Amino acid sequence: MKPRIAIFSLTSCEGCSLAILELENELLDLLGAVEIVNFREGMTERSWDIDVGFVDGAVSTPEDEREVTRYRACCKTLVAIGACACLGGVNTLKNRQEMESYRTYVYGERARWFPTTDARPISAVVKVDYELPGCPMNNREFLRLVKCLLAGVPFALPNYAVCVECKKAGNLCLYERGQMCLGPVTRAGCNAICPHYGSKCEACRGLLGAEALAAARLNMREIWKVDEERVLADLRLYGAYQGDGSKP
Amino acid sequence: MLDAIISTRELLGRVDELLRTQRVIGPVRRDVPDATPPVRWFYEPVSSARQLDLGFAYCVYSPKQYLLPPRETLLEFHRTPDGFSARPVSDAQPTALIGVHPCDLHALVTLDRAFSHNGDDEHYQARRRRLLIVGVDCGKPCTPGVYCADMRANVADEGFDVMLQPLGAGADVERFGVRFGSPRGRAWLEAGGGCERPTAADERAADAWQERKEASFGRTLTTAHEDLPAMMARSYDSLIWEATARRCYSCGSCNLVCPTCYCFDVHDELDLSLQEGRRCREWDGCQLQDFALVAGGHNFRSKAAARLRHRLMRKSKWIGERTGGKGCVGCARCDRACTARISTVEIYNQLAEEV
Repeated sequence: MKPRIAIFSLTSCEGCSLAILELENELLDLLGAVEIVNFREGMTERSWDIDVGFVDGAVSTPEDEREVTRYRACCKTLVAIGACACLGGVNTLKNRQEMESYRTYVYGERARWFPTTDARPISAVVKVDYELPGCPMNNREFLRLVKCLLAGVPFALPNYAVCVECKKAGNLCLYERGQMCLGPVTRAGCNAICPHYGSKCEACRGLLGAEALAAARLNMREIWKVDEERVLADLRLYGAYQGDGSKP
Repeated sequence: MLDAIISTRELLGRVDELLRTQRVIGPVRRDVPDATPPVRWFYEPVSSARQLDLGFAYCVYSPKQYLLPPRETLLEFHRTPDGFSARPVSDAQPTALIGVHPCDLHALVTLDRAFSHNGDDEHYQARRRRLLIVGVDCGKPCTPGVYCADMRANVADEGFDVMLQPLGAGADVERFGVRFGSPRGRAWLEAGGGCERPTAADERAADAWQERKEASFGRTLTTAHEDLPAMMARSYDSLIWEATARRCYSCGSCNLVCPTCYCFDVHDELDLSLQEGRRCREWDGCQLQDFALVAGGHNFRSKAAARLRHRLMRKSKWIGERTGGKGCVGCARCDRACTARISTVEIYNQLAEEV
């Protein structure tokens, strides 16, 4: 029996779901190994008997809350995919604004038709078994997880900085070009795609840990003399959700 | 003593001859308008000798990637009814590395020794056997902050097939003094018939060039090269590790750009069919959080301070003791790569002041 797979979307651009369809060279092999039974981006049929559910998007509305609770109940294994599902992502920028003001800004006088909440990662609402962060998620990492699940071996995200992949790619460090890249504090797994093409890392895969963040605070202030507010603004792009209700 | 003299034109002709049968890697200049200075060099494959810039300052990365690639496949395996079968994979191809400064030559010697220590590493050695190394001497420190002279690595007497010494001054060197390091190097360079016998005037010019070179290298370490291992042994419990590591991201950049860092990780990759796969190795680094994580979940260097100390102990003491090669060649790539501006020399000098 092939594992039954579902791919769901909450508040997001659904780019992470699309990233699965973009696995063009592997798609046939993937369909040989698993059965996709519920996927809005890819099929009309819907089944709720699911082994592994992949969810992209943040929990940002009461409907999202109900949906993600249903996914959890129907899926033996639940995987958050992408920055929105794993961190809250860009959706969390609204958490730092007044709810009435952003609702009116987006929906005008129909704002009351669209109830909303603070944006949260899905792990804030239900138990999540695996996370594949990134904006979008890296579809090679998605394949690696699928293979680990099929083979029954442990899966772990890289526990090191984007700098590692950036150096392996032979790039010139963006600090040498005057850019305050967030690579040193950000979890790798993206093959340093942004620095490789000349854009600083924006930490879409989340931060590495307290030690690196404390070092960043020191270095940005004492070595690079950067305004702390500017660094925080960069960190908030994907990481404004703190879990404890605080607004960094 | 020089073995020969060759003109730049003849030399480039010999390189173009190599290009007919093998891959040629050398320093290639890249303009980087938003960097200061707005130019950098990288070891890259070239398709014509004219693309080489033998007057380069330094290459951002060392040439180690051509012997130990950042990622490589070691073997491929597939499942069989009674287990599995595997076959080794090697991508080794004849390669010439043209334009290696003395610091990187010393580093290649260290790698050679590390990968023949306790038996040959076949993947490394297969590349090494097919590699022709042509060094080029540097006449002055390539950039501020290097401490190659402190590490006795700004002059190289081994690790090359051919060593070139620019004669005359200025960017447009027209002639090179040549020393041969192997019969293979001699055979390649002499085959074109362009090598000349050095005259007494050539020898005098070469000696004068070496004297100017020696005078141009300052010293930045307060500890003499031969005293460094003992000084470091006394510094094991210093508080400087903790104080410096507060700024360390544990990003591993220092490891990955280091020409003598050779640690790697090995893992298996499976195809979706779960019937076939490959065993791969990738660069690793002792500064990374999980480097010393072992089965059962224990991490015997879980703190950045312990990892920082480990790296400098390796560079100044342990690699030398284990391989007999240089653990550090003073190229300062680690210092340049560190976005926390942690300076190796500064740490050595602070420790020396303390003990």
